[in-house]
Amino acid sequence: MAMRDLVTGGAACSVPGSSSSSNPLGSFANSLVGSASKTQGTYRELPVVGPSPHDGTSDFRPVDPLTNLPGSELDSQTNAQSSEFLQRVRAPSHGAFDGVWNDMHRPPPLHPSLAQGTQNQPSFDEFDQIFNQGIASNHQPTLDGPPQRVLASFLHSFVNSGRSGIPFQPASLPVLGLSEGDKHRIRNRSTILSRHIFANSSEDFITAQVNALLHSLEIDSNLQMKGPLRGRYPELEDYWNETQGALQPAAPHAVDRWVSEYNHHGPHENADSWAESFQQQHGANGWASEFEQEQSQLASMGELRGVNNANLAMEQSRMLAETLSRNNDPKFKNSKFLQFVSKMSRGELIVDDNQVKPTGVANDWADQFSRENSSFGGNAWADEFANEQVHQGPADEQWVNEFSKLHLQDWGDEFEQQANEGILGRGEADDWADNFLDEVWSVKRGSDSSKSVYVFSDLNPYVGHPDPLKEGQELFRKGLLSEAVLALEAEVLKNPENAEGWRLLGITHAENDDDQQAIASMMRAHEVDPTNLEVLLALGVSHTNELEQAAALKYLYGWLQHHPKYGTIAPPMQPENSLYHPDVIRMFNEAAQMSPEDADVHIVLGVLYNLSREYDKAISSFETALKLRSQDYSLWNKLGATQANSVQSADAILAYQQALDLKPNYVRAWANMGISYANQGMHEESIRYYVRALGMNPKADNAWQYLKISLSCASRSDMFEACDSRNLDLLQKEFPL
Amino acid sequence: MALSSQLKTDALMEQMKLHLATDAGKELTKKIGLVYQINIGPKKIGVDEETYVVDLKKGEVTKGAYQGKPDCTFSFKDDDFVSVAMGKMNPQIAFLRGAMKIKGSLSAAQKFTPDIFPKPSKM
Repeated sequence: MAMRDLVTGGAACSVPGSSSSSNPLGSFANSLVGSASKTQGTYRELPVVGPSPHDGTSDFRPVDPLTNLPGSELDSQTNAQSSEFLQRVRAPSHGAFDGVWNDMHRPPPLHPSLAQGTQNQPSFDEFDQIFNQGIASNHQPTLDGPPQRVLASFLHSFVNSGRSGIPFQPASLPVLGLSEGDKHRIRNRSTILSRHIFANSSEDFITAQVNALLHSLEIDSNLQMKGPLRGRYPELEDYWNETQGALQPAAPHAVDRWVSEYNHHGPHENADSWAESFQQQHGANGWASEFEQEQSQLASMGELRGVNNANLAMEQSRMLAETLSRNNDPKFKNSKFLQFVSKMSRGELIVDDNQVKPTGVANDWADQFSRENSSFGGNAWADEFANEQVHQGPADEQWVNEFSKLHLQDWGDEFEQQANEGILGRGEADDWADNFLDEVWSVKRGSDSSKSVYVFSDLNPYVGHPDPLKEGQELFRKGLLSEAVLALEAEVLKNPENAEGWRLLGITHAENDDDQQAIASMMRAHEVDPTNLEVLLALGVSHTNELEQAAALKYLYGWLQHHPKYGTIAPPMQPENSLYHPDVIRMFNEAAQMSPEDADVHIVLGVLYNLSREYDKAISSFETALKLRSQDYSLWNKLGATQANSVQSADAILAYQQALDLKPNYVRAWANMGISYANQGMHEESIRYYVRALGMNPKADNAWQYLKISLSCASRSDMFEACDSRNLDLLQKEFPL
Repeated sequence: MALSSQLKTDALMEQMKLHLATDAGKELTKKIGLVYQINIGPKKIGVDEETYVVDLKKGEVTKGAYQGKPDCTFSFKDDDFVSVAMGKMNPQIAFLRGAMKIKGSLSAAQKFTPDIFPKPSKM
């Protein structure tokens, strides 16, 4: 049923919001073949694109309710298969066989669908005609009159033997005068057909049946199965060249015809039963091997000129992959084919010279891919399928093995899994691109952090406010940090030289858990007022948080140098890289001895010990400072963070709680709480705290990242999408604190 | 105590070392049980690399090459490792962008996820 949905575009696999949701596979084939021929006319005839203007072609669709009649399933399935087969026979030009096949179906009670099939004869004829133009020389339709009818009933009995499951009895037939080419085709096609109608039977049985049939028709079943492809299939090659070579005038039309035919059958019972029997026969992986086989076939078929409409092809393959991944059949989900297509759609794999290669120029692989897939449209596909065993040489196996060992596989699998779990809600290619852009941006921000470019908000209601600094200070005091950021941004836009504006903005960002922006604003404050101690300390702290040790050390040393009381201890600024951490520690300890009641000195010492990861000393420095200044919430947070980093998470949570009691909207402390719970393996709790922090500052990127990790650790992948789309309402509802 | 290394990674590794002694850390060794060697180039992969071994079998972090064969060896630039360990960058994307090189078992590489590293708290 999965395949049925896939082909018919059933609700289960439709892509919400996508215009092509009605039939992903159809539109996939559509774009591939359509782009190959670059013929506008194609689209008019495709049911997925719009209503068909041709009465003749719309008649072609079988009547749906037929498939639902009780007891008729088998009939319709078999007939569907055989009419599919019928097309194959007809398509390469055997006008003479059409009658045979139609006769074959007439004797039993006539199906409406078949009656329709005959009504559509004109379109077949047209197709045949077109086709014959290309390859006229090869065929000599010789069957007329009685032998044709004999052959029809003979073939009919062959088909019937599939339903009853009894072995097919060879019968003697009059001399039919079949040419080598005809025999060849009959052999190939009966092999295919039998695989469908005997799908439930063993391989041996199928082979026996086919051999019996072929024997009756005096076709050697073994001899001609061997030999090189070239020369054996002149008409096949012609067909290929025709479909692929855009230069030949007849080609596009032939392809279009075919596609419209295919699509008319595709969305209905025909394709369903095809797909079903195909799956039964080969398992889901049959698709994959078929697909792979196709590529190797193609490589040996010669150079086929591709198409340039790469973007469309990629888009379509992505949609196909997406559709496939929504499929509920686990067997299918894990199929190589799905993985293959999805990798293709992400551009991870390209196919080049009979080998799958990871990554490459998108256009290249898309060209290749569409070339491969054009064969979906041709009889060649069926023929290749029939010849699968024959051409499955050692080289191909090797190739397949190589493919399965490809390094990307595992990563691909995981991606696939994630996609199935719904992380990548909008489709993988989009997400890929988004991720990439995000990262480019964050990398840019990261590398700029030393130069610190401050990124202003886009829309700021405080621009034009008479006194944004005062407003900002007020908001900051109230703990509305995100609002305060906006007001302070308005202030520094108005007065770029206002060090206090920049400093408070930096503090606000730090409390809002955004160190990059904090550093950027503090750098501006530092430019305006290079000796501001609070700015120097804040820069030292922020750089420590960002693990930028050398920079942190420089600013903390600067703090000492510029301090009116302790400046004498510090020698004039040395070249940056010669700063020696133990020396700086020693000088601060001297300062602390000079005035043990100065909390600031202890705070800077605490930060310095954090830098050198002497956490015990850092903790005691902060504790000393807290005795002097117990109402400093940021000091409580510093103590907590230090304790957390020295894996005293339980103590840390107490310290954070102190900070939050003093300042309930302290985003950094909420986020730190989450980190502490996460580091203790209490992921459910950590999620609640992250969500709480994000509720106050949705721009805290770190918290989003940590939230996602915790969601994954807590096996809450169902919330990934909410996390990715930053859907706070949903998260807050799910994880209230 | 001198700063032994200017690498950001060094700070994370130090924290990892402590983390592995906790209950959550011990859980990790039980869950993963693999040995990763991580080579960090300060500015570029393969240049002036420092080597760490995150041994999730024994639950320890050491500096210098592993005595024996690690399950998987990664190479990173300092910043990229921090991005991956802190969940800023998805390891798969890091790998595909060439920011992360892998040698060894791929199934081992797959278990190398951001959640094995403790997150640094901020002052």
